[in-house]
Formats: sequence, structure tokens, C-alpha cells
Amino acid sequence: MPTGFGWDFKTQYKDYFYEHNDYREWDFQCALYDKVKERIARITLNRPDKRNAFNDRMFEDLAAAMHKANDDPDVRVVVIRGAGKHFGAGHDLSSPQGEESPPVHPNVNPTMQDYYGFERRRCYKYDDVTDYPKITIAQVHGKCIGASQIFAASCDIIITAEDAQFGIRGFGSQLHGLTEYPLWPLWSNKAYAGRAITEMSGKEAADLGFANKAVPLQKLEAETLRWAEVLSNLPSEGVAVTKEWISGMQDIMGMGGTLRAHYHGHLGLQYVRFRPEEVNLYKEKRDKGLKGFLKDRAEAASPHAKDEEKEEKKKEGK
Amino acid sequence: MSTILYEKKDGIGYITLNRPEELNAMNDEMLAELDALLPQVEMDLDVRVAVFRGAGKDFCAGQDLTGVKTYEVLSEPGEHLTIKKRMEAERRRNHRWEYIFNMAKPTIAQVHGHCLGTGCYLAMVCDITIAAEDAQFGDPLLRMGLLPHMPLWLYLIGLKRTREMLFTGCYIDGIEAEKIGLINKAVPRDDLEAEVENMAKGIALMNCDALAPTKDAINSVMEARGLGACWRFTNDMQLVMQQRTMLPEEYDFFAEREKHGLKAAIERRDAPFKKFCEER
Repeated sequence: MPTGFGWDFKTQYKDYFYEHNDYREWDFQCALYDKVKERIARITLNRPDKRNAFNDRMFEDLAAAMHKANDDPDVRVVVIRGAGKHFGAGHDLSSPQGEESPPVHPNVNPTMQDYYGFERRRCYKYDDVTDYPKITIAQVHGKCIGASQIFAASCDIIITAEDAQFGIRGFGSQLHGLTEYPLWPLWSNKAYAGRAITEMSGKEAADLGFANKAVPLQKLEAETLRWAEVLSNLPSEGVAVTKEWISGMQDIMGMGGTLRAHYHGHLGLQYVRFRPEEVNLYKEKRDKGLKGFLKDRAEAASPHAKDEEKEEKKKEGK
Repeated sequence: MSTILYEKKDGIGYITLNRPEELNAMNDEMLAELDALLPQVEMDLDVRVAVFRGAGKDFCAGQDLTGVKTYEVLSEPGEHLTIKKRMEAERRRNHRWEYIFNMAKPTIAQVHGHCLGTGCYLAMVCDITIAAEDAQFGDPLLRMGLLPHMPLWLYLIGLKRTREMLFTGCYIDGIEAEKIGLINKAVPRDDLEAEVENMAKGIALMNCDALAPTKDAINSVMEARGLGACWRFTNDMQLVMQQRTMLPEEYDFFAEREKHGLKAAIERRDAPFKKFCEER
């Protein structure tokens, strides 16, 4: 990669996921790349009709964009945002079989060797975002669910709309604990540590230290760029070393171990059996389609909502 | 001693940073005096609680940035020393924080005014920090291309806020510091002294022979969470940071200080961040 000092340097020790593809002549579709200013690059997750849910193509485009921003010595800060009404709705559960971003379908029944390779590719993507040598800012609005929330949390800074919705729902209503990304307690001492929060607003996220600042939606973009601009004043080498120091301390605090535990948890999920009354992603998807599953899961996650709805209807009737 | 004042009263040892004209900035002399004093305080059975505080208007504005007799506080870029020499210096620097953190005696930081950089580190390694509501906490080292070298940031305030504090270098007041868990309590400036004295007297009532192993047990939890390795890793990263290169268009604090003096260099360092931090 160009260093900005007049010579090129090829990273020897580690290939980041975003370095796998050559970004030159890249056809950006599911993630777009542009430069707001000389020092600020911006990546826009771009599947608005799918609420920017991750599929493999989006990860590839995102990777190419991160690679491009990293290779541009002028770029100091990278902003990531979502097109349309949401930042992102997590993995695209409607992805065809064989795609790697959504949970592996149990019928695929991979070998252990394949499975661990797959988990490493999948989980270390977020690790690579954390280890990215430039400052990353997630500009969050609308829904920021599941994998999208993990991605935002892996960025250095989160600026969020007050009414944004963070959360994890998982494969079924009973599985929050396992599908939760294991590193939340390291991200914020208050959010998730000792509290099984499954959903929170942008405002609550900022209060808990999970996000850095919550602003009204109409001010979100201006606020994010204000942060990007001021942070672009920092010495780039100093930032790279400081980020490596912070990430290294996280490793000492158990980051590597928790990642491994996380993909063992994923592996365990392959063998989870559902009780008859529980919402089962795979079965529901087969019997009722994805929309049917999402509806049942939402109902199972908030069992009182239905009763309240009935009550309200009763009142309205009166 | 001149840069440190020490006074014993009612079983409380008051350690006062005393360079009020320089905002109690730490230089080699102050650290040498601290190094000589602390083991005495630790072993003195008449002292049940040690209180750190600052003379004049501030607790401590951090490392003395003049570059004169500051070898023990500041790793200046371009020092032509062997790796071994530098490593020893980094170890000494961080070992001092580790030592205060582990002192077999309860410690309280009484913070008012500026509490920045290494001054803030001193407040962080104390067992308890009580501050005036209008005290100013912050760590602007990265603005100068220096490593903000205190692992406790991550443990005390979490990852997102750590990055925010270190990347922006903005200051927060006592009230916000209490909210995010950086300190124990913020009180009105006029009540600060009484509040600390009250807390110190309360802790002094404890059986000090039981308190020491209790503190050790608490610290061993931090050790198990990796703090020991983090100190060491921080030393190494400080060595790495000394090798960093500035891009031509980036602000070089040390060159500016050479040309226009310290005050101008600090002003130019903070100028791009000033408006942002005020509105933050």
C-alpha cells in the first residue's frame, strides 16, 4: 500500500479481509464509496430495499471500499452510514443457501474443518474493522440490528440518531444470550455488562456509553461530519499506534478468547433443538416464509404486546 | 523538598503537588521527590490514608512540556538513545503509576482545576477520586503524537468513551467524570476539602491491617483481567510511538515549540479542536 512518504509497503504479517480484493475498477453496488473531503472517506451501505441487510456482495463491496480508503494516504477518517431509512438490519436472512453472511442452514451440515474456517472468516471481519488503522465513525439511524450493530460497535466512534434502534433478536426468541456478540462488556462497561438488554434507542445507547453521541435525526449527518473533520486533524501515525495499543489491550483483556468462544457458540447453535412452543427460524422459514418467521419472532419477543393491542382495541371499540 | 509538600494531620498524609505557577506540571524533580516520599508514606503506621492534591488553582496540568529536565516524564521524538535505555525509562515511568495503584495504603485524589495527561493518570491510579464539579479532566497527548499511556482508561470508562476521550482530547468536567465512572464523586468547589477529609477520616476508622489485603484482593481482580500485561504492553507501544513519522502537512508540536515557544505550540495544538470541544 502507498505510505504517503513516497514508498510502497506490502503488509506481510496479516491479510485483513478487506485486502483480499483489488478495489481498482471495482463496481460498487451494495456499498458505495465517496470522498466527502480530502481527508474524509465515506462508505454507504446500499441495499435500502433490504434495510441494508448484509449479504456476501455487500461485504465484498464494503471490503473493497475499506481497502481503498486505507490505501489513500490523504484519508484520515472513514464514515460508514446506511442508505435509505436504516443503518442496517443485520444478516440478510433471505440470502440463498451457500452465502456466508447469514447463519449457516442446518441442512448444509459442514465438516468441522470447514465450519471453523467459515467462522474465522466471518467473525474476524469485525476484528479487522476494530484493527483498521484509520479512525472509523458509524453514522447510525433507523434500525441497527444484529450484525449491523456488531459492525457499528466495531467502529471507533458511533454517532446515532436519538430515535435509532439498536438490538439483537437472534434465530429465535429464546436465543438472545447465545446470539449476542460476546464482546459487549468490553465495548461499554454499562450496556450489556450485567444487563441483558436486547433493544435500546440511540439516546439510551449514548447514555450507557455504547454510542458516543445521540442527536436528532435531522442533525445526524452534520454532527458526524463535524466529528470526522476534527478527528482528521490528528497525526495519522499516532492514531495507528494508539489504535493498535487499545486493540492490543483488548486482546489482553480477553478479546481473542471471547471471539473463539463466540464461534463455538455458533457451532453449538447448529445443534440447538427447539421446543414445540418456541419460534424456530428454520422451520418457520420453511412453513411460513421469512415474513411469517419475523412476525412470530417479534410476537414471541414481546409477549405482552399482543395483550396490550387487544386492550387498546377493546378501548377503541368502546 | 520543594516541588512536593508533605503534611501529616489526624492520621492523614497530605501529599501536595507544589509548582502552582506551572499548574503543578510534573518534571523530573517532582517525580524524584515523589519517588522518595511515597515509600516513607507507605511504611508510616501513623498515616492511615494518603491524600494527593495540588497547590494553587489546579490539581495537575500533566507532564511539563518545556522539554527541560523532563526526561522522566516525557519521551520526546528523536531521542538518540539505545532501545535498552528507552525501555528502562518507559518502565520507570509506568512503574510509578503501578506502584501508587498497588500501595498498601488507601489513597484519595482531591481534584480541582486542571487534571490533565499524567495529572489525570495520578488521579486515576488512586483508590478514590473526589473532584470539584468544575474540575477539568482530559488526555490531549495524541494531539502531539504522543501515546496516551494509561491502561486504566479502558477499564474505568469502557471502549467507546476511551476512544472518544483520547481521539478528541476534549476535557470533561467533574460532573460528567462522575457520570461515566472516571471518578467517585463530584462536589461543589467549596465543599471539596471537607468532603475529602470526611471520606479520609471514615476510611481511617477501618482496621488498616485488614484494609491492605482487601485492596490487594481488589487489585488482583484487575490483574486477572490483564492489567499487569497492559502496563507492559503500554511500555512497548510507547517505544513504537517514538518511531512514528509526521506527514509533511501534519502539525508537529515539537518543531513548533522549537520555533515559537511552548505557549504558542500548545495554542496551535489545541486550536483545531477548540470549537468542537466547546460544542461537544
